[in-house]
Amino acid sequence: MRLFLKRIGFVLLLFFSISMCVAVGSLWSLRQSSFYKPSFLVNSVQDKEFDYIILGSSTGLTTLNTQVIDSVLDIDGINLSMDNTALSSQYLMLQHFLAQGKKTKYCVLAPSAVSFDAKNKDISDNDYRFLPYASVDYIHRYYSSFSSQPAQLLSYSKWFPVLGVSYFNTELFYPSIFSFFQPEKRNRFDAKGNYTYPLKNNEDIAITTFKALPVFFENKFVKKINDLCVKNKIQLICYFSPIKGRQVIAESANYTIINHSDLLTNNTLFYDVIHVNTNGRQVASESFARNLKSLWK
Amino acid sequence: MLFNSIDFAIFLPIVFILYWYVTKRSLSLQNLLIVCSSYLFYAWWDYRFLGLIILSTVADYLVAKYIQKAKDKKIKKTLLLVSLIFNLGLLAFFKYFNFFIESWVEAWQFFGFTMQTSTLSIILPVGISFYTFQTLSYTIDVYREKIEPTSNFIQFAAFVSFFPQLVAGPIERASHLLPQFSEKRVFNSEFAISGFYLIIWGLFKKVVVADNCAFFVNQIFDGATSYSSMELFLGAVLFAFQIYGDFSGYSDIAIGVSRLFGFSLMTNFSFPYFSRDIAEFWRRWHISLSTWFRDYLYIPLGGSLGTDWHRIRNVFIVFLVSGFWHGANWTFIIWGAIHAILFLPLLLLKSNRKHLEFTKIRLQQIPMLIVTFTLVTFAWIFFRADTVSIAYQFIIDIFSFKGSSVSVFIKSSKMILFSSVIVLSILTLLLFEFLSVQDNKKEVTLNRYSAIFIALLICFMGVFKNPSDFIYFQF
Repeated sequence: MRLFLKRIGFVLLLFFSISMCVAVGSLWSLRQSSFYKPSFLVNSVQDKEFDYIILGSSTGLTTLNTQVIDSVLDIDGINLSMDNTALSSQYLMLQHFLAQGKKTKYCVLAPSAVSFDAKNKDISDNDYRFLPYASVDYIHRYYSSFSSQPAQLLSYSKWFPVLGVSYFNTELFYPSIFSFFQPEKRNRFDAKGNYTYPLKNNEDIAITTFKALPVFFENKFVKKINDLCVKNKIQLICYFSPIKGRQVIAESANYTIINHSDLLTNNTLFYDVIHVNTNGRQVASESFARNLKSLWK
Repeated sequence: MLFNSIDFAIFLPIVFILYWYVTKRSLSLQNLLIVCSSYLFYAWWDYRFLGLIILSTVADYLVAKYIQKAKDKKIKKTLLLVSLIFNLGLLAFFKYFNFFIESWVEAWQFFGFTMQTSTLSIILPVGISFYTFQTLSYTIDVYREKIEPTSNFIQFAAFVSFFPQLVAGPIERASHLLPQFSEKRVFNSEFAISGFYLIIWGLFKKVVVADNCAFFVNQIFDGATSYSSMELFLGAVLFAFQIYGDFSGYSDIAIGVSRLFGFSLMTNFSFPYFSRDIAEFWRRWHISLSTWFRDYLYIPLGGSLGTDWHRIRNVFIVFLVSGFWHGANWTFIIWGAIHAILFLPLLLLKSNRKHLEFTKIRLQQIPMLIVTFTLVTFAWIFFRADTVSIAYQFIIDIFSFKGSSVSVFIKSSKMILFSSVIVLSILTLLLFEFLSVQDNKKEVTLNRYSAIFIALLICFMGVFKNPSDFIYFQF
């Protein structure tokens, strides 16, 4: 038994040491890069003060083009949205933004409409993108607050980074190799954090009927985000992006709302039901700039 | 409980420590621990079917005892029949009931009659095909007086339910495995270390090779009509590696885990893609099943004795039954028939025993390896496709030469990444296997450094987020 334990111990110890080194190196490489939004914010966003930031999921990422809004209003904003994320992730991103010593006047919350009422029981699909900063207190606390297996692995990655890097190897390990050689490479977003869905040959059909979609702001993270904004003297704006054939009915005394759910009335402006294409993004962004201007006053 | 799960990673060391430190002094306690942990292992998947294993164990234990006690040959035969009907009846009900009903209805529809029947929603108990064959071999061997029935129920229960090989084999013979439960176990470090390395190698095959291949295989087989001939062919090749990595990986882990507990299981795969003809392929692929059919079906039918017609009949029966064993679908039966057709020329030309010894591969034999692999790959298409017509269309599309595009593998950086990982993992697999073949080894034997290298590949190239179930669990 002693020989067995010695041999197995040697193999496990050496494997563990090498894999830990690889994982630490992998996260280091990602921390130096601009591949994902959390490290992009740290490494590529030099400005300290913004007029507005956009936090959202794929809808926020692809609907509001900060380049258009900035040029219309001559202001400075950045899109920090990440696809496949929930309000909990947007709360985490806001914490991450503030932790970098950055400031903003407005925070535009732009997840999908249903997210405002959803219950965030688990981490979002793309929350692993914060893993390079797993040892930072608020990120570790965030991972630890969920009980699912992936969340627990991300949480333990504070001490054993190999757990998270191995589990999310496609998403973290391989990109870290690319990032090592090309630290400036971004994962499908431009220098201002925007991404657009391409034009498709959609049929030219006018959208005339809109089914009501009530929103009650029951997700506890809306309040958490709002509280954090209030604490940092940021005004929160809840934004509803265009949805094909749906009209969000949302009223709240607590939150400022910009509702674009029924803004687009032609099928050619959509990529799919909840996402706009490049043309739809242009219309929505210009309209948003006008709305923001009126709030500014 | 899956071998590639965190549950198993916790379960195994606990059982190992209890086995070698707590129950070490008593063989009965060690066997009892194996039975309890095996039942827990099985119940983790679905505790309701545990009763089926216990029922099968009790039935065959008693039948074997009565077979030995019976003086009259007729009574012995009747008792054997009881065991056969009971075990095959369970299998027929859980695995084939709906298939028979549907085929019956389709057959009548073919002649213009419509029938109203209903099928049952039956869950297939994991491993039923494996443990029923294992217990069957026990009663048949007792009937043939090849082995004595055991008088120790716990030993027999441990033999039937031994968790490393309970749900996907290797299908052990009582004459090989059962005596090991009555021998005092002494921990052999070298043997256990070889088991540990085999577990690493098996995990590599499953988590890296098979699960990465599954990514493209599922895409291509699920939407076959939209892919070019080259993509379809490569999809079939990847499935050949997926099913090999998946099943032989499971077997390697099972054999490796058994060694940690001092048990030796039979080799189940011996580098099948280095076969020089189909006959050799079947001596290297799923050895425990093919030898089971040889001993309990082919030889009782007359084997290769008799006229050409008898031999052809026997070969077809064995391959068709073997195909049907895999699943209640015509695709598996056709798959078996294809192998029978490929095997027949060798049998009739008496060259089926040409490569009886697994010798080194010579350079001039490489074309034979490629031809055998290609034939096997085309047969796999029937194995993987949902229906015979889909498989047929798949093959037609390959030969229609509708383009040589491989865009599915390179259309985005993610796809290029996956393709590269797959190529690298398959090359690693083939390299280690080739070196083992050239060394006349029965299995890939790692040393401590190659084990670490393979473990690192598992860690950083394995599929953990969306792992696929072991394919053979469905059989």
